[in-house]
Amino acid sequence: MAGIWIFVEQRDGAIRKVSMELLSGGKELASTLGEDMAAVLLGYQVGPMAEKLAKCADRVYVIDDPLFQYYSADSYGESLANMVHTYDPSVLLGGSTFMGRDLFPWLASRLATGYAADCTDITIGDDKGIIAKRPMYGGKVLADVVFPQARPQMATVRSNVFPLKSLEEAARGEIIHIEPKEDSSTIRTKVERAEKKATGKVDLTEADIVVAAGRGIKGPENFHIIEELAEVLNATVGTTRAVVDNQWRDHNDQIGKSGKIISPKLYMAFGISGAIHHTMGIDTSKVIVAVDKKPNALIFDYADYGIVGDLFQIVPALTAEFKKALSE
Amino acid sequence: MDILVLVKQVPDTEAIIRAQSDTELDIENKYSLNFFDEFAVEEALRIKEKLGSGKVAVITLGSKKAVDALRRGIAMGADEAFQIEDPALEEIDGYATAKTLAKFIESQGYDVILCGKQAIDDDSGAVGPALAQFLGIPYLTSIVELKIAADKKEARAAREIEGGTEIITCPLPALFTAQKGLNEPRIPQVAGVMKAMKAQIQKFDLKALGLSPEDIRPKTKILKFYPPGKRPPVKMIEEEFPKNVEVLVKILREQEKAI
Amino acid sequence: MDFAFTEEQEFFRQTVRDTIDRMIMPKVQELDEGEEFSFELWHEFAKLGYLGIRHPEEYGGMNIDVISQMIFYEELFRGDVGFAMTVTMQILMGTYFIGRFGTEEIKQKVLVPAIKGEKIGTICFTEDQSGSDLAGTRTTAVLEGDEWVINGTKMWITNAPTCNFCTVLATTDPSQGIKALNFFLVEEDMPGFSRGQQLKKLGSRSSVTGELVFDNVRVPKDYFLGEELGKGVQYAGEILNEVRVMTGLAACAIAKMAMDDAREYANRRITFGNPISKYQLIRSKFANFWAWYESARWYCYRCAWMIQQGLPCLTECMLAKMFATEMCLSAVDEATRIYGGNAFAMEYPSQRYFRDARFLLYGGGCHEVLQDYLGRIYLKED
Repeated sequence: MAGIWIFVEQRDGAIRKVSMELLSGGKELASTLGEDMAAVLLGYQVGPMAEKLAKCADRVYVIDDPLFQYYSADSYGESLANMVHTYDPSVLLGGSTFMGRDLFPWLASRLATGYAADCTDITIGDDKGIIAKRPMYGGKVLADVVFPQARPQMATVRSNVFPLKSLEEAARGEIIHIEPKEDSSTIRTKVERAEKKATGKVDLTEADIVVAAGRGIKGPENFHIIEELAEVLNATVGTTRAVVDNQWRDHNDQIGKSGKIISPKLYMAFGISGAIHHTMGIDTSKVIVAVDKKPNALIFDYADYGIVGDLFQIVPALTAEFKKALSE
Repeated sequence: MDILVLVKQVPDTEAIIRAQSDTELDIENKYSLNFFDEFAVEEALRIKEKLGSGKVAVITLGSKKAVDALRRGIAMGADEAFQIEDPALEEIDGYATAKTLAKFIESQGYDVILCGKQAIDDDSGAVGPALAQFLGIPYLTSIVELKIAADKKEARAAREIEGGTEIITCPLPALFTAQKGLNEPRIPQVAGVMKAMKAQIQKFDLKALGLSPEDIRPKTKILKFYPPGKRPPVKMIEEEFPKNVEVLVKILREQEKAI
Repeated sequence: MDFAFTEEQEFFRQTVRDTIDRMIMPKVQELDEGEEFSFELWHEFAKLGYLGIRHPEEYGGMNIDVISQMIFYEELFRGDVGFAMTVTMQILMGTYFIGRFGTEEIKQKVLVPAIKGEKIGTICFTEDQSGSDLAGTRTTAVLEGDEWVINGTKMWITNAPTCNFCTVLATTDPSQGIKALNFFLVEEDMPGFSRGQQLKKLGSRSSVTGELVFDNVRVPKDYFLGEELGKGVQYAGEILNEVRVMTGLAACAIAKMAMDDAREYANRRITFGNPISKYQLIRSKFANFWAWYESARWYCYRCAWMIQQGLPCLTECMLAKMFATEMCLSAVDEATRIYGGNAFAMEYPSQRYFRDARFLLYGGGCHEVLQDYLGRIYLKED
């Protein structure tokens, strides 16, 4: 049997946006190949999510078990390996998330197959194999990766690569419950607890809009103007390495090579000079706006729109202007 | 406690890299130890220093340039260095790298294996998890904190996840991949640098590991390299404040439909 | 002829470069504008052990080869020039005579802490009426019983405001000219030692420079640093070769930084619709610089090799220092021209290279004196 499988990631009762995007993209890939698309959902008390997925995919493979409340390669990986052996999909895609990038390389080596990480596009080649497009060297070069023989072809894909489409009108798919073979003794890594930063915001890697400030913000006490703009745009706040190194913001907020790679629809950079460490992390953003005092700031080389000016003047004015525009 | 650290010499973030042809890259000769591997080496040294005993070995897979990654590890304080070098290893993927490393590491005693969360050349982050799979040991990726229990049988780590961290325990031996934030890597002292300049690197080829080129056939192939699409030149909004703000908002809403 | 660095030397360079990049580069502007010596950075840097690179292991040194030492200086001067001056003063002139002639007791008391960075040293040549003209030295040392009594004032002393000990050039017989010049160790806690004003400087501003006054300073007899009296100038000449090659490589480093920075600027600055790097007159500046830079740099390393081999190379080292310095002064000037009006703005780095490079003219002998001397040699005058 062939087919495209989408590994659906959920945490705390919610399906990740990137997984829904992959289902949208996967559907098209499947129709190009003339194959089915299945969703794979692992977790505990995931019934409602499985129901939702059944409206989007031809089949939904579900493991619903207390042992699967937290992710571990020992549970998720082993089960997925068994499922792949049983059903033999030709493609397995997942989000380029911390979980995806933890699980997929382990699983690929377990299945003795190939894996392409952090892809920015998946297309179908002449031989009906997939072509995974991925940035290398921090985005300085792109590579098209193919999988000559081994199956399934595995890849993790970034957010905002496939546009989110409503799939719910699709025919109701079959939900297939799988009994895990694992018991608690086979799961060696045990999650004691998860510590969430109480931002309530979408993670940088998944945000549609990101607003960020660099050293030009002059101090942690000034970040509120960025937060206020983010509030109006429902955006996530990011920053640069220099700011994190100065301990003005948490490392979780860092965009760039040693932080997070983002690809939002809109990225706005304020007081960011545009060091290569940073620009490597924003390369795949759709629209980039830069505001900086220095007309020669490197960031303008990466931006679509630029304003030379004082961020302390421009950010509050932007907040007010967006507020006005959005209320119209 | 024996700690193995996987290290890799990679083009510096500042190095100019261009696709020369479909299959060849033109890489400026500026290399350094992979950014994330430094955290791994540092953590290994800290574990050893804290326990007051043990041995830290650095391992790399690669040709002549790779030796500098080992030297850097020794300059920082590692005790031993191993290089796996073979012409057949020139064009391999994460799968084959992990398989080769696994074969070598099986013959070594170890309690902890550390490596960077990804190498900043191919940016895959595949070798760590794949190696753990081949060795059959537990692993945790992107850790920002690591504590080894007093009985040296268990570790507790904080792993980065979207919007927070997870605190996880696992038995040893285990593999961990280091994320920024794990520690502040030390700058080598000149005495360490001198030691590194004179260090004996122990070398192994595929044959010594009992592997044939057939065993490490890669599972993926790069069809072609190409430059990223160039962004159109920046459009500077030249109007005076506050007109420029109005113009920008209008463009983002009406033209780009981004908001 | 083998004109390549060894793999080990390349690794050494890489490591030093990385160290400077991390520890000093981010602070360069702050250090320059602060116009103060950073003890914090000093102690942090001293921990790495580089202050001992040319001293023997038994005193905490590393005793590495001359080429590697020069690699270290070259990389060091890519960072903050003032800080680099303090470091090189400590490694070379500041401790040279002590390391070579000091008694075991002196070495334990002064050299060992100097290598650890716990004590800061300096050398005192210049006076108001003498500098490159050593014969004009008026500071005197007179033996009274078991003690030398030192009187005089020294000017333009690097580290004067911060030094814990200094090596002082003094005449033991003013009628004998350079034949009576000798070196003596003085420590800061000796009665009669005092510091004058700290100078405000054009460049290398994070090193502190000023006057030292010796008013009847009595030092023990064995604080005379030498095997026999009257050989001070000869001893100084023997370290000056290293100082001159170091200065030459400092010039190369500053020039390269200035032009690399100007390259970034030239590639980004748009005039008449093009980056200025597209214009031939700008390109020619880089081509000319490049040729001079390579020539100067490799000649410096040739001199370093001669020192390493123990070959006589007094004139070669003078030529290298002079040539590299002139190359650098031209490069930092050209860099400001590439920057155009922005070179005049303190927020761009090009003015800093322009200012910092000026010190090169005076360290290791002023050029007019060197040129006069070298011209005489070439003309085979007596």
